[in-house]
Amino acid sequence: MTDSVAACGDNSRDNAITAQIAKALTEATGLLRRPQRVVPLIQRLVSDKLRVTFEQRHLYSYATTKRSSGDALNSLLRWILDAQRPDGGIAAYYGLLTGYSESYPEVTGYIVPTLYDCARTTGDDDAVVAVERATQWLLSLQMSMGAFPAGLHGGLHGDAKQPSVFNTGQILQGLVRAHVETNRPEILQAAVAAGDWLVRMQHADGSWSGPAAYQNVAHTYYSMVAWALAELSERAANRRHGCSDHEHSLSYGRPAERNLDWVLSHFRPGGWIDGINLRGHPNYLHFIAYALQGALECAILRRRSDAIEAVAKSSWVLLRKFETNKFLPGAFEPDFKNGQRFTCLTGNAQMSCVWLRLFEVTDDLRYLNAALKMNEMLKPLIPARGRRGIFGGVSGSYPIWGRYQPLRYLSWGNKFFADALLLEQRLTRSFAASAFEALPCAS
Amino acid sequence: MRIVVLCPSVYSETACAMAVRMAEFGHVPAGALALPTLDRGTLLRKLGQWGTQDVIRYASAKLTPHRGDGRAQVSNPYLQPLLKHGEGVFRSLRQVAKFYGFPIEVCSDQNAPDSIARLREWSPDLIIFTGGNILRKQLLDVPRLGVLNVHLGLLPEVRGMSSPEWSLLIHVPVGVTIHYIDAGIDTGPILQRCEFPDASRCESLSDLRNRLIAFGVEQVAEVVAGLDRGTISASPQSDLDEDHQFFVMHEWLQARAAERLTKRRSVAIVESVNG
Repeated sequence: MTDSVAACGDNSRDNAITAQIAKALTEATGLLRRPQRVVPLIQRLVSDKLRVTFEQRHLYSYATTKRSSGDALNSLLRWILDAQRPDGGIAAYYGLLTGYSESYPEVTGYIVPTLYDCARTTGDDDAVVAVERATQWLLSLQMSMGAFPAGLHGGLHGDAKQPSVFNTGQILQGLVRAHVETNRPEILQAAVAAGDWLVRMQHADGSWSGPAAYQNVAHTYYSMVAWALAELSERAANRRHGCSDHEHSLSYGRPAERNLDWVLSHFRPGGWIDGINLRGHPNYLHFIAYALQGALECAILRRRSDAIEAVAKSSWVLLRKFETNKFLPGAFEPDFKNGQRFTCLTGNAQMSCVWLRLFEVTDDLRYLNAALKMNEMLKPLIPARGRRGIFGGVSGSYPIWGRYQPLRYLSWGNKFFADALLLEQRLTRSFAASAFEALPCAS
Repeated sequence: MRIVVLCPSVYSETACAMAVRMAEFGHVPAGALALPTLDRGTLLRKLGQWGTQDVIRYASAKLTPHRGDGRAQVSNPYLQPLLKHGEGVFRSLRQVAKFYGFPIEVCSDQNAPDSIARLREWSPDLIIFTGGNILRKQLLDVPRLGVLNVHLGLLPEVRGMSSPEWSLLIHVPVGVTIHYIDAGIDTGPILQRCEFPDASRCESLSDLRNRLIAFGVEQVAEVVAGLDRGTISASPQSDLDEDHQFFVMHEWLQARAAERLTKRRSVAIVESVNG
């Protein structure tokens, strides 16, 4: 998630309360409008209750499943394709009470790289068609200042909408990748405009706050925006006319590192990251993982070993918790204390991605080991049957009534779990090949 | 020296072999404290460690009568020489205890006050841990010298679980370490650290584990003899700050570790053929 699904970017407290009441009413009336939704709702509630009651976790064991990663990946992709709305955007979620939400610009943006990777791996042409439609829709949303709007699609139009730093960063990820894949100049132009706006909005200390930031305050999980700028610097900006590679690296790379430094200043010695700063919400694993993932990817692109070490330290704390307890709590109090009993599946999938990337850059097999087990744990929680919106969906929480996005299947959950499985496939293949080559008899 | 054996079950072959080995060289245990075999916790632990099929196979091997030379009755063939008893084998610690004349107690928790009280009655110099609960401080404080553990990996390089498999994957020599247990995980002072010379002869990961267990029993016997003579002392581990802890290995990585073992074996065979 998403600055906006929680409170739609409202600035005043009154508006936030009104939005919460409206959201609760919409959810409550969802079943009245479509009573047939009660069947899958009860099915999932019962199945999660049974699973929670009977599952056993032991120090020497881990969850296993016969479901292959390829099969899970196909169903995750199918869910994403089903969630594409007629306008080309991807819905934020499928609610067991309310059905599909409207298109969600932020997720539509950063799901673009996932769709390209899925298309390449699975050979699914539908994914290519979907990602091209999604990109076209994104281009139509860009505001004249270069930013992208907050919240779900609908309501206000054009520049009357509130621009959002986080959403612009997340969409920038998608634009950069779409340009790399298609080489279309208008996509590069849009990406550069978004990057320029982000740089203009950045404070001298490297953070983003003010009206274009969620709840007006700076957040460490905006490291995802730094990652997007680093991507722009690395992959696309050097194709812009009239500018040298070095100049582009400075234009977007330095702001990315400025934010990275600001984020790193919030890492505590024990690994905890301050500055998640979400009033009215606990420190969900999803946001902790965002902060880690953004910092790690930015650090890799900018070759910052100090930042990789800091992320590795925090990730190791979470890895130990996962290995000992066999799940990661959905939310924590500072210093990773008092983990809540439910699991945030998106956060779990994100941590799998972080561990896999750490394995890639450090060669420490314990990260790969934890990620393999994490993916194994997540696979059976993806419905292998069910109607559109349910089949292949990653729920917000497990059990589904947990505090993070209850009773919903989330497009960003699908995105991160698909990313984790794609990374798993790539890294296990290359490890198996390199391990074979390293053996004395392999020649 | 008064020795007590802690075991995960009266049917533990390792515990039986350890008790026999101690008795053979004159240190008949002062007692043995075992966890019950059929309680929920043990059953779940074994299911988690071994999987359903292996648990059923193991239980049926232990609970049904056997004929023959006893080889089929021992799941770890490398312990068979120690477990051989007349025409058959020792099938439980009760049989070992009856033969050598030492008491055996079954408890639901080795850290429980009753268990600690019983251990104190036996006033051990040394406790040998062959499996069971995670041990708490009250228990660790009972013996005069400490609680010995056989770790199937070289410390401090490979702490925690799946040690032989991790050793193969991270290019650390395969071996065992005899150390005292402290509050951490495999962080206690080291008495003996031995590389295992026969790793390249192992046919599979389970074969490697079986050989390491038997090797570990012999190393404990050496350590106990050394402690008795005063020729061995414990050294604290040098790099406690570094995190060398490993966790249970995923089956995909286990398969890669098994491949490395197979390759080592092939290389060893080729080298022996080439002279």
